[in-house]
Amino acid sequence: MKLLVRPEASAAAGALLIWLLFAAIAGPPFRSLEGAAAALNAAAPLGILAVAVALLMIAGEFDLSVGSIIGAAGMSVMLLTRHFDWSLWPAIALTVLLCAAIGFGNGYLVVRTGLPSFIVTLGSLFVFRGLTIAVSRQLTQRTQLGGLDEVAGYRAAQTLLGGDLVGPFQVSILWWIGLAALATWVLLRTRFGNWIFATGGAPEAARKLGVPVARVKIVLFILTALAACLVAVIQAVRFAGADALRGEQQEFRAIIAVVIGGTLLTGGYGSAVGAVLGALIFGTVQQGIVITGVDADWFQVFLGSLLVAAVLVNNFVRSRVAGTR
Amino acid sequence: MTEPIIRVERVSKSFGRVIALRDVSLSVQPGQVTCLLGDNGAGKSTLIQILAGVHRPTGGHYLVDGEAVQFNSPREALTRGIATVYQDLALIPLLSVWRNFFLGAEPCRGAGILRRIDVGYCERVARQELEHLGVSLRDSAQAVGTLSGGERQAVAIARALHFGARVLILDEPTAALGVKQATAVLGFIARARDRGVGVVFVTHNPRQAHPIGDRFVVLRRGEVLGDYRKSHIGLERLADMMAGGDAPSSRLMEQQN
Amino acid sequence: MSGAVKASLSRRLRSGIRALPILTALVTMVACGSESGPSAGKAGAGDAGRSAVRIVMVTHGQTSDPFWSVVANGVADAGRELGVRVEYQAPSSFDMVRMSQLIDAAVASRPSALAVSIPDPSATARSIKAAIAAGIPALSLNAGDEAWERLGLLGHIGQTEYEAGRAAGERLAVHGAKRVLCVNHEVGNTSLDTRCRGLRDGLAKRGAAMLVLGINLADPEDATQRIKNALGRDAAVDGMLTLGPGGAAPALTALRESGHLGRIAIGTFDLTPEVLAAVRDGRLLFAIDQQPYLQGYLAVVLLTKYLETKAIPGGGQLIRTGPSFVTRETAADVIALAKRGIR
Repeated sequence: MKLLVRPEASAAAGALLIWLLFAAIAGPPFRSLEGAAAALNAAAPLGILAVAVALLMIAGEFDLSVGSIIGAAGMSVMLLTRHFDWSLWPAIALTVLLCAAIGFGNGYLVVRTGLPSFIVTLGSLFVFRGLTIAVSRQLTQRTQLGGLDEVAGYRAAQTLLGGDLVGPFQVSILWWIGLAALATWVLLRTRFGNWIFATGGAPEAARKLGVPVARVKIVLFILTALAACLVAVIQAVRFAGADALRGEQQEFRAIIAVVIGGTLLTGGYGSAVGAVLGALIFGTVQQGIVITGVDADWFQVFLGSLLVAAVLVNNFVRSRVAGTR
Repeated sequence: MTEPIIRVERVSKSFGRVIALRDVSLSVQPGQVTCLLGDNGAGKSTLIQILAGVHRPTGGHYLVDGEAVQFNSPREALTRGIATVYQDLALIPLLSVWRNFFLGAEPCRGAGILRRIDVGYCERVARQELEHLGVSLRDSAQAVGTLSGGERQAVAIARALHFGARVLILDEPTAALGVKQATAVLGFIARARDRGVGVVFVTHNPRQAHPIGDRFVVLRRGEVLGDYRKSHIGLERLADMMAGGDAPSSRLMEQQN
Repeated sequence: MSGAVKASLSRRLRSGIRALPILTALVTMVACGSESGPSAGKAGAGDAGRSAVRIVMVTHGQTSDPFWSVVANGVADAGRELGVRVEYQAPSSFDMVRMSQLIDAAVASRPSALAVSIPDPSATARSIKAAIAAGIPALSLNAGDEAWERLGLLGHIGQTEYEAGRAAGERLAVHGAKRVLCVNHEVGNTSLDTRCRGLRDGLAKRGAAMLVLGINLADPEDATQRIKNALGRDAAVDGMLTLGPGGAAPALTALRESGHLGRIAIGTFDLTPEVLAAVRDGRLLFAIDQQPYLQGYLAVVLLTKYLETKAIPGGGQLIRTGPSFVTRETAADVIALAKRGIR
């Protein structure tokens, strides 16, 4: 029964049941290759975010600005290439550095001021979304830019980032799974992973034992920013353009996916594999509803119900594991 | 008579205008249990914080192995082998026993990008150290939160001992425990003592202190009410003192020799 | 219902079945599955072949938007009258990533035919081409009059943005405007950009000039303020064209508050009750109706007929549903029809 107590257990059962549900209701179209691809392709960008957000949440912090960073990073690539005539790969490199800097800024602010990361990154959410809109309009009078496919270096980027892997399945799926595997290994098998758990579970105790809590948090904020950057670049390449509003609400979806996957909102407990399953459930539901032929507005009702249910299950699991009454 | 590992001589501590300790002396011998008794507000916490390196005394001397020291942080005290287990145990309930055990000191193998924790070693050693205290776990991968109060104390104590504690300061380890668990903890203290560690056992329960202690130091309102060896004081008298029988008097200090 | 269900479920939880999230999903899904809306078309005239037909429409506009609500009404009416099943899908905001995911899901569901709007051709091109490669008959509506042909669609139903803009420009110039503000409420939608371009050319033919002003509809207060600022900055502006009812409302407010009502000739794209009332009262010079009801209606009709006969008007052409100019003279009639949700 130890297996049932693992954080991913309820998420795995959930993913399986969701799949069975849609397979029954929507029939062959859902079970087809296109159906599976539709679900996985929708899950991948969310999954990339969720993996990084999971690590941060295990360490006890939130990053609400990842959605805005997606918008900012996409716009950064487009402005550098289309407005300043850079070629694609240098533009991507600079954008990566920019996102890392944003992540560092978030982390440093949180650690220095001691303010809840919820508040600090909520501020970043507005600042960077605003900057994205303002700067793009200042330079181009538009908030949507296109034409990335005409830039030097696009072909390689398509293959590596934005294109299809095999059949209807996109390359982003590979990035997602790869990052999840890396995150799981770090979390469970390295010193840093132990520190992440400790930082979230009992930061004061961890500090007393010599864990560099501040450094752990800053690194994790940089990682969430970089994950957002990756999603943005993948989407910019795939859709050959960027939109200043892209990524809106992704931060909340990422958190939901992470919580569904068994990570506690209070930190100290969770898994990257769970985040993968959470994103998978999300993507499956998102596309499954449409394939079934149901009005997409019901999606939000489902979202809310699932969040509450996930939190209830999490509480139950936690009370079993931590032995609290 | 062996040299005490640590000794404080006539230390005082004030916080602003509040005098928390006045003229307190105490010594800790290897392989002996010194019980530090007193009601709430007697100054026990302040005294052990001085021993642990959290505070510096405002008066008096602190000697380790016979030489005067001034600790700037608990880490410095830790490197001299003075380990403190506070009431929160510094354990993370959601993490496994071995992860807690080796937190901050995880043994690694491999190099560069493949550097990883030696999980096998951690699980094995954590389990062994607990065995030495008499606690057998099915599996050291189980979460600390699933352990009983006494078992958690064992983890904290075993961790301190494993990483080389010579002096073990236990801050009210039995306070939140039932009788059975408390007895188990007393057992751990005995085993630690048998390994040559000097234990400072802070408690306000004389009935628990008396069976296990070799020395008893009773504090009241920041001063030493009495300092006795086991042979010189019985349980009734000890309980009486705790309940407020005698007036504080520094002349009641029993000399070491 | 949900309260009692959840209570008995959590009892089962204690015996180890982590069913709560899944069962909640089940309950909600069953509830959703029985939902009827634009997505349920009852088989009407007893044609067995038709009841097996399922047409999915994916657009960039939600049914909560009054414009798209009329489109969806057209879709639903056509479905009911022809006896085919119809479904309407759209992202919850202007989001090309989500829209392409919706098209992918629609394609995976193997509909009989597909109708899409194309506000950003390069973003949704791949998904549309996949639909066509999968052999699904598809046409476009509303947005995409410049892209549909090269994407391989059967046809396009809508209003050519450029020509509508140009016609509007000519009208404003005839009325006497020399400097016209083009108020764009959805910067990034290439159709709207084309409208402004058409406006510019229509005005230029008669020697008038155009400026573009972008506004953000998410904050109507801010939009009104921006328009006022623009008018304040440039006193020579004597004409305005808003590209949608979302822009018309703050524009009229701005004009009224800054006292320019009557001095500045203003027209708008698309109809709402407020816009129609303003036209009837003379506050708006005209409103351009692209006749969204027909866009939805004709899309379903043409696709159904194509499935049955493989025939499509013009052998694959752009079918214009606009521009139709609603002026003071015709406003009253249109208002009556709009009340029924069909104009």
